[in-house]
Amino acid sequence: MQVILSALSTMAPLLLAALGGLFSALSGTLNIALEGMLTIGAFSSIAFASATGSLALGILIGMIITTALSALLGLFTIRFKANPFIAGLAANLLAGGVCTVTSGKIYATEGVVNFASLPKLASWHGLDLFLPIALAGTLICAFVIRRTSYGLHLRACGRNQEAISSLGLRADFYNLTSFLISGAFCSVAGAAIMFRLGAYVPNASSGKGWIALVIVYLGNMRPLGLLAAALVFALADSFSNFAQGFWNVPADFILAIPYVFTLAAMIIFSIFSRKRKSFM
Amino acid sequence: MNEIPAIQLEGISKRYNDVQALDDVSLDVRRGEIICLAGENGAGKTTLMKILYGMEQPDSGTIRIDGKEVSLRSPLDSAALGIGMVHQHFMLVGGFTVAQNAALGIEKKRFGSILDTKATEDFVQKKIDEFGLSLKATDCVDSLTVGQRQQAEILRLLCRNDRIMILDEPTSVLTEEEVSRLFSHLKAMAGEGETIVLITHKLDEIKRISDRVAILTKGRMTAIRRTSDVTEDEISKLMFGSSVKLGIPRQRASEEGKTVLSLHNVCVKKQSQEKPLLCHVSFDARAGEILGFAGVSGNGLGVLEGVLGGFIRTSEGTITLRGQDITGLPTRELRKNGLSYVPADRIAMGSCAKATVSENLIAPMLGRFSLGPFLDRRRIREFSEDRISKFGIKASPDETASSLSGGNIQKMILSRETVLAEDCIVLSQPTWGLDRESSQFVYLQMQELRKRKIAVILISYSLDEILAVADRIVIISKGRIAGIMDNKEGLSREKLGRMMLGKEDRDE
Amino acid sequence: MNSGYSRAKGAFIVILIAMAIIAALCFVLSETPVKALSLFFIGPFSSLYSLGNMLASSTVLILGGLGVSIAMKGSSFNLGGEGQIYLGGFVAAVSGVALQDLGMLGTLIAIAAGSLASGAIAGFSGWCRMKWKTSEMISSFLLSSALVMVINYLITGPFLDPGSNLLTTQKVPQAMRLSKILPPSGLSTAILIAIASAAVIQAYLYRTKGGYSLRITGMSYRYAVYSGLNTRVYTWLPMFLSGTLYGMGGALSVFGTYYACVRDFQSGLGWNGFAVALIAGSNPVLVIPAALFFAWIQSGARIAMQGSDLTSQVASIAQAVIFFLITCEAFGRTRKKGGVSCK
Repeated sequence: MQVILSALSTMAPLLLAALGGLFSALSGTLNIALEGMLTIGAFSSIAFASATGSLALGILIGMIITTALSALLGLFTIRFKANPFIAGLAANLLAGGVCTVTSGKIYATEGVVNFASLPKLASWHGLDLFLPIALAGTLICAFVIRRTSYGLHLRACGRNQEAISSLGLRADFYNLTSFLISGAFCSVAGAAIMFRLGAYVPNASSGKGWIALVIVYLGNMRPLGLLAAALVFALADSFSNFAQGFWNVPADFILAIPYVFTLAAMIIFSIFSRKRKSFM
Repeated sequence: MNEIPAIQLEGISKRYNDVQALDDVSLDVRRGEIICLAGENGAGKTTLMKILYGMEQPDSGTIRIDGKEVSLRSPLDSAALGIGMVHQHFMLVGGFTVAQNAALGIEKKRFGSILDTKATEDFVQKKIDEFGLSLKATDCVDSLTVGQRQQAEILRLLCRNDRIMILDEPTSVLTEEEVSRLFSHLKAMAGEGETIVLITHKLDEIKRISDRVAILTKGRMTAIRRTSDVTEDEISKLMFGSSVKLGIPRQRASEEGKTVLSLHNVCVKKQSQEKPLLCHVSFDARAGEILGFAGVSGNGLGVLEGVLGGFIRTSEGTITLRGQDITGLPTRELRKNGLSYVPADRIAMGSCAKATVSENLIAPMLGRFSLGPFLDRRRIREFSEDRISKFGIKASPDETASSLSGGNIQKMILSRETVLAEDCIVLSQPTWGLDRESSQFVYLQMQELRKRKIAVILISYSLDEILAVADRIVIISKGRIAGIMDNKEGLSREKLGRMMLGKEDRDE
Repeated sequence: MNSGYSRAKGAFIVILIAMAIIAALCFVLSETPVKALSLFFIGPFSSLYSLGNMLASSTVLILGGLGVSIAMKGSSFNLGGEGQIYLGGFVAAVSGVALQDLGMLGTLIAIAAGSLASGAIAGFSGWCRMKWKTSEMISSFLLSSALVMVINYLITGPFLDPGSNLLTTQKVPQAMRLSKILPPSGLSTAILIAIASAAVIQAYLYRTKGGYSLRITGMSYRYAVYSGLNTRVYTWLPMFLSGTLYGMGGALSVFGTYYACVRDFQSGLGWNGFAVALIAGSNPVLVIPAALFFAWIQSGARIAMQGSDLTSQVASIAQAVIFFLITCEAFGRTRKKGGVSCK
């Protein structure tokens, strides 16, 4: 039972980040910068939450800042036609660097920053409000993607960008807005990670951005699929934590399990989706 | 006429590097008129229309729509003015339905942004019924035949009520019936005030559908005539400077050669479907003959190409080459057995756009250019230069293939495959999109191959081409052989057309 | 290669701008900007020791850059560099100790073992791609992340060297170590091996049948199948070779610089190798100057950090800016349509 609760908790930020990545994937651009967006979102959310004394305001301001920076990245990638992969990697580096340097300048430390005036995050057996936010987000995304013209055009853009452009729809618009949405979601995800820790821990979100991408892939680029994939990954993660206490498995091994598990899941998934293809 | 023309193009010029694609071209098109834009490949027809559609910008000149000067900087601008274009290369969104594709951008919505799928599908279905297209609004475009996909493209324009329609070679993949229906619809629309520009090669279609014909030659507008004032021959003369249609002397195969390639009772079934794509196909291809396969798109020619090329697995039947069973062998093995193949898809399959010309020329025969594990660069260079000069390819060996024109790419592919050809060569749609000069060249090569006692298998949607070149003709209809016959004088084109549509019984 | 000249010119401009940005950062972030700046740019050359260390660090970068480049030529993305370097180093260190009686022959075998082990790991990703169309990008990343954890455990557990203060495996004996160049810096003959590898890879790609097939399969899979090339092999081979090169980088680090597999020695190197390949445009010959440039920035940052009040973030920020510039420049040239240009 403990395992499941802990999994649900872990799942929330992963799912949020993945939802952000989903829109970029659907629009046809690869967004590698989820890591960076998580970092910026995390830092700005917690900084402003403690400055204003309100968690909600912190999240909100964090979202605004991250979205604005994502817009910049989007402009770079789309308008200036930068290679999305490289630009994304650069953005991740830049985000980490900028946050750490800013932290150094303002809080006089480049390490863990403890905020005295940070409001407490209410939680029940480890579950907090980020879980319903993530779930609600999933439903909203599913609706927007399937049932609105924006979602339809976004998907069309991802499949055949030329078709969209030749009809007078701006492909750039869909690509850019997908970046903005990624930023917003990742910011909330980053906030989730940091608020739970109660401090700004550099690199706490390390690797989560990549895992979010993997979840998008495993979830077959559908919101509900993402939910399933995120849950699976979170279960693996929390199970391995659990196992660490239970059996005498070395800590490092435990850390490796989620990756191995995801890898196995991915391979099995590929084997089966190939079988369904027809000849040729 | 005092009426302001719908389209006024004045002094349009466009230069690409060292080629003057368009040179001071002017054209007026009246509202409700159907005008054909004709000319050889590379004459500038598509470029001119791309400018009208906003996909390209002219270096100089003005464009006026309904008398007002406009600046068309992107398809957005022309779409706003009600100009629509159906391209040669389809712009359909895979995985979406016909309705979703046709109504893309103009979907029926509720509350501003929420899709009303039912209303959209009804709207599109109404348009389909109105114009008698053979589509269903709820079909997924992935399951449509090539001809149906083109209809879906045209449907999109119809749904948008574009007042000016540009169609780029629209009939290349349509059946006779579909062409007739399309033309009657175009005429009806023109009657309602729709302005239609058709880019086409086909002389008979120009005569059938257009009010006027404008002819571009090497970037210049050389003639604009009322269609009723000119004959097909005269149009041809204006386009090419000579009045011969396909213009190659028919040569006879000297004598009946040995059977080289033999298909017996070949069937191809798609896993998910009941109906086989090819059914009980049997024929022999003989040395020193050109065996022409004619049919309508969607009836199995593409599948046949795939089978012969090793891309499509047969579910029944055998294929023998020189007496050896080669059934089910993949392309790699077929190549080892001497397969020589010019595919219909010359850009994605027959060539490698990112590679250089020499790299393109040697891929299937690396063994001839190697010294152990190393490449014999000197020999590769010699070979490339030889091929380039012999086939008149306008490129240098180190140039990237992506910068070559369609005709040159085909020449490149031909120059390679003709060297490889041992006993048998398959050519699929070899002159599609090529101008007359390049097409002639292809036919000459086929005749050369025949002289070398090679079995030449020609697969083509153009019945004219098959009639002009082939020694024997095989008609494929609905995945079966409708008939195999010698290409004699007096063969009724009409009868063959009916066989292709499955409307005649087997004839031997 | 018709863009060689303009590419060099572009790279030069990028370097200038990068240096300007670094200078700006120094002024913003440091109390003693001039000192920081000179430490950054000139520091690596200020003594044979720092020069040697800079060159030594470029060894792994060259091999990593080559590895990623060859994967790119086969249209594969190898994101598992970190784990592959680590594994290469670990296997090499452990086999080295096991084979210590064989002297330099043992070194050879150990380096080969390390390289091939990493090659196998990357090759596995490539094989999954060939067999089941699994994304090698993601599988290589996942596998590598898992490997890093496992090797961490092995180093701090069963293979820990009890006599050392660091978390590391046992050191390989003197007889097995690669000769030093410019002692006491970390530079060894490993760099010569790295440079030679670049030449070998270049020759392989452009002068052999295999390299040709690899590139063509990477450029157009359909065309490769149609031409009868062995596309199955050339789908996983680029990844295998890529992993082998990364692994060699790790193995050479062990025998050339550290003499043991120190925990986390690989951290960041895999990604840097990726960056080098991108800067070099996947061109094996250009990997060498790209790696040297990168090593220069890294070393400069480290020296500036030690000698002034700059922090390690300057290097990351500089790296990021360089990435942005590179990608903008490369793509600003190849665009056909009009539009806003980058600077």
